[in-house]
Amino acid sequence: MAATVAAYPPRKSRQLRVLRKRVLVYAGLCFYALIAGLPVYWMLITTFKPDQDLYNLRSFPLFFNERGVTMDHVTLLFNRTGFGVWIKNTFLVSAAVVVITLIFAVPAGYALARLRFRGAESLTIGIFMTYLVPTTLLFLPLVKVIAWLGLFDKLGALIVAYPTFTIPFCTWLMAGFFKTIPFEIEEAAMMDGCSRVGAIVRVILPLSLAGMLTVAIFAFTLSMQDFVYALTFVSSSDQKVVNIGVVTELIRGDVFYWGSLMAGALIAGVPVAILYSFFLDYFIKGITGGAVK
Amino acid sequence: MAESASVPGIRQRTASSPSLSLERPGVLGSVLVAPAIFYIAVLVGWPFLLAVYLSLSNTDVATTGLGRFVGLDNFVALSQSDVFWVALRNTIGFALISAVLKGLLGTVLAFLLAENLPGTRIFRFIILLPWTIPIALSSITWKWMLDTQYSIINWIGRALGILQSNPNWLGDPTLAMISIIAVNVWRGFPFAAIILLAGMTSVSQEVLDAAKVDGAGPVTRFRKIIVPIIAPILFVGSLYDLVFTLTDMTIVFLLTVGGPANSTHVLASFAFLVGVQSGALGRGAAIALLLLPILLVVVFITLRSLRRRDL
Repeated sequence: MAATVAAYPPRKSRQLRVLRKRVLVYAGLCFYALIAGLPVYWMLITTFKPDQDLYNLRSFPLFFNERGVTMDHVTLLFNRTGFGVWIKNTFLVSAAVVVITLIFAVPAGYALARLRFRGAESLTIGIFMTYLVPTTLLFLPLVKVIAWLGLFDKLGALIVAYPTFTIPFCTWLMAGFFKTIPFEIEEAAMMDGCSRVGAIVRVILPLSLAGMLTVAIFAFTLSMQDFVYALTFVSSSDQKVVNIGVVTELIRGDVFYWGSLMAGALIAGVPVAILYSFFLDYFIKGITGGAVK
Repeated sequence: MAESASVPGIRQRTASSPSLSLERPGVLGSVLVAPAIFYIAVLVGWPFLLAVYLSLSNTDVATTGLGRFVGLDNFVALSQSDVFWVALRNTIGFALISAVLKGLLGTVLAFLLAENLPGTRIFRFIILLPWTIPIALSSITWKWMLDTQYSIINWIGRALGILQSNPNWLGDPTLAMISIIAVNVWRGFPFAAIILLAGMTSVSQEVLDAAKVDGAGPVTRFRKIIVPIIAPILFVGSLYDLVFTLTDMTIVFLLTVGGPANSTHVLASFAFLVGVQSGALGRGAAIALLLLPILLVVVFITLRSLRRRDL
């Protein structure tokens, strides 16, 4: 008893120590949040600040000034550029990529996780490794492949190209997911007279809806993160996705339309960020190979 | 005995079912994996081989089909190009320096987040923004933040008394390279922290408590327990990040387009410049392919550490 008391300092100073630690942790977190959040805050301010205040060295840059807020940059973005079309294109491409990814990755993930055939293990690692084959290595030969497929400067080029990185990663994710479903459930279904294929369709697939949703969100966000393929394969304004449209069409020669540029970045970037951070934990599990419980 | 007797029974039953072969794991497995393998073979494997051929040919955008085989001409020409050597040096230096900085910033952040104080979720969301916002959109924002006249970074620096003048971040070769590294670190540190955090939460509290009872102080606990357990996870995470840093051209392309005077090119952006903007597909492929030896080392190490953890 005496030892326990001695091990802990008197209550008051202990409270103080806890408080001091908390203050330090919060101070640290605030510092990081400032660094991480500043560019997004700057997007926000730039988007709604009138040009006269924006390009005035005497006005206080970190907040709105005497001319208040304006919707001019957003209006310009929607009315005078192809922003609406780019957003639509982005959704089209990402949705198509999601469908393709699910069709290819779900069966493959199941097979690699469940059916012990020869080479399954090496194949799993091999597939994950193709995720690490960088776009930088592939974009030039893909120029040729895309041209042969007759897809150059079309959205189809991106729909074909993005699954090269979504399929490997999502196969890996799905395999990890299928491993968490107990074998017994499948066996029980097969005992009850289901064939293996029947067991997969009737029992396993409904159980993996959550996994498939995760994979779908990832295929979606990974497609929206790309820059290199979209920049290389597409040049017509009406075929651009939003990342490329914003950073190429709002710069005319030396003139940067910063207000509208930032409006585009804000409107296209923040929803992706929100979606991504909801599912980030699954992404991390995928990368660390399920080592993280 | 009863069990072994039932096995032929099941065999017989499946043998008489119409989807006979699909019931065998080997066959079903191949059928299910084949489409994914096919896709990867056609759109990753084949282009990869094509890249090798292109690098040995004089193909350009105007060539229909594939260009003429020119042996190692592209590589010889590259070895005589100053920009190539600058790009190679930048690529390696950039990757190493930013890996170290991301590791340091990420480690500290991971410990802060691990405290799990109230409000951590909202902090986590804000701090993850650099990683979750599409890199092209944040890079263009940084270009605006580092603007020659209206740079907010300079304004804040002056307000805090850190800066006396107005540095032209993207106009000076050294400052431009520092800016590129800074944006890459800004983008990657949240990822390092999250990976590390995932590792730290996988260290069971019982083990830590047991060590505490045995008299291990916080430093010992960190060195002898946390580090060995999270090392492989951190390793895979940073290799993954390294591959993307080594091959990413987005930041360079949007911040400086390789300038001023080609001083900030990395191999990836140089490959894009030569292969797409100048249209010399063959020469560009040669540059991109030279990333391969560096990447192979990285991938080999990843492969081994994945195997070791019995995946």
